[in-house]
Amino acid sequence: LTAGNKIFHFGPCRVSISMTEIRSGFTAIKDNIQARDPIRTLSILSYPHSLHKVKSSDRCCVTHHLFNFYMDKVFKHCKTEDSYINRKISSIANSFLSVKRKLEQCHEQNKCMCGQESTEKFKQILVNYEGLNVTSAAIKSLGELDILLDWM
Amino acid sequence: SGELCCSLPNPKNVHFESINMKNVLHWSAPEGTGDGVLYKVKYLVYGAGKWIRKPECRNISRTWCDLSSETSDYEEQYYASVKAFLNGMCSDWMETTRFNPLTDTKIDPPTVSVSSTEKSISIILTAPEKWKRSPEGESVSLLQVYPGLQYNVSVLNKKTKKRWFFSISNNTLVVPWLEPGTAYCVSAQIHITTPLLHSGFSKEYCIATLNDKTA
Repeated sequence: LTAGNKIFHFGPCRVSISMTEIRSGFTAIKDNIQARDPIRTLSILSYPHSLHKVKSSDRCCVTHHLFNFYMDKVFKHCKTEDSYINRKISSIANSFLSVKRKLEQCHEQNKCMCGQESTEKFKQILVNYEGLNVTSAAIKSLGELDILLDWM
Repeated sequence: SGELCCSLPNPKNVHFESINMKNVLHWSAPEGTGDGVLYKVKYLVYGAGKWIRKPECRNISRTWCDLSSETSDYEEQYYASVKAFLNGMCSDWMETTRFNPLTDTKIDPPTVSVSSTEKSISIILTAPEKWKRSPEGESVSLLQVYPGLQYNVSVLNKKTKKRWFFSISNNTLVVPWLEPGTAYCVSAQIHITTPLLHSGFSKEYCIATLNDKTA
């Protein structure tokens, strides 16, 4: 277990995540990225229901969906004019990639089952995301990374 | 919206100052305005539909506003905004950055109580409580807010100046094999790994081990 890593137990699925690295990467870019998101009254992850309402049995599937979401729909659309910010984003993306693979293995081994509620929850997140243009939605989602991390 | 023309300089440095989730909005007066400036405040739960005015901070002359009650749900994030008024003129609304009580609060040191025997000292640590609306309100320890909360404890032998450091998860520590009749000083700090937060060290609490009865 590398320093700063934390073992997450999603039922039978155990995943080691470099939480400290991800958090410090996000803290370094948080104000910059959130300042690029002018929409205060909409949230991708916590509207209309907070992630904190997700049942524990659905946590693994929602986490799996969200890590895929960030890899497929967020990081790649967050190029900025600031190379420092871009480096931090790709460092976070690299950390996410290794977690995504581990969650994928759990899913293939039927240890990360998706219930009705988690599917609905994730559908709502996609609706929120698709309600904005891609760049705005990606920047807003990146600015909400601490909502995901706090929930985990 | 019936607003006055906004040509007054803006309030500056609008930000939350938070300790143990007592969340107070602070700002600085607009440049060159002197006395007589009044302010009003509004806040918003991030992702929720609308801004909400804070009646107790309407037409105030002070440059802070306690929004602890309005921002007490630490699973949410918030914005707050301030507008200044003077002689029929007003400023723009000036906003904070997005405020996340869970990661943006500062944490007080733990309280420390110590007792001793001939060759050991026992230390009991208590994490601070989260801000609450009233003294009769339900007490919530920061331990409940941050399950990964740990304590770093420093123990100093006043005679030899030797110092030990311990990192513990539960709130009690017994330090054995000490010298009888010797003064030891204890100080402690709170350390949280996710999110990464730590308090300062508490002041030192000193106690002497009992004298050796057999000597």
